[in-house]
Amino acid sequence: MMNYFKRFLIVFICGIVQILFAAYSALVLCGVSIDWHINNNIFMFIPGILIFASSGILTASYYFGDKKNNNILYDEYTALRYYKIAAAGYALNGIGIFILFSIQDWSNWSFQNANNMIYQIAAFAWLTFGLLLTIFSIGDYKEYKNG
Amino acid sequence: MGKHHQNLLNNLEELRKSAGLTQQDLSESAEVSRKSINAIENGIYVPSTVLALKIAKTLRCKVEDIFKLPK
Repeated sequence: MMNYFKRFLIVFICGIVQILFAAYSALVLCGVSIDWHINNNIFMFIPGILIFASSGILTASYYFGDKKNNNILYDEYTALRYYKIAAAGYALNGIGIFILFSIQDWSNWSFQNANNMIYQIAAFAWLTFGLLLTIFSIGDYKEYKNG
Repeated sequence: MGKHHQNLLNNLEELRKSAGLTQQDLSESAEVSRKSINAIENGIYVPSTVLALKIAKTLRCKVEDIFKLPK
């Protein structure tokens, strides 16, 4: 059965992994050499797979879990916080992607530049949503414990 | 009147205490989290109509007794 702590762990892990991947790709893009390398195929998919799996677990717990427990875990106040987080995330992403498109060197475009831009967009989206998810998960759990 | 949201004055904390209920008791009866009740009492959150009616039902009073629009 889902509870506040399990939800905190699920959302927090998603957020932290996204921040780590964003930091890694930012370092690679900046040309900083680090000792370990992630295989690109896995690199691009791990945060997404985590998000899908976590969303699946939370959705299943909402629809198939104990109704009384769900009324508390997924109440309207929590839903409102999720909406605010999502709205902030989409707004920041929109601004970030606009800036990333603006700073590209379109007159000298190449597959390498396109590849770099994909990494920049991924890093920015991961950083934005990773931070928001991490902040949400910590705040949500702290409120449950103390608020 | 307790702490207020800018769009809604509330008297929830006083009414809850006079009914001898804890935030946990009220949240269980209204089928929401305790932190939602806390957020309403502290003027952080404006509840939906359904939740306001559930709270009023539990406290055996009218919604208008708990919540008022600012003048």
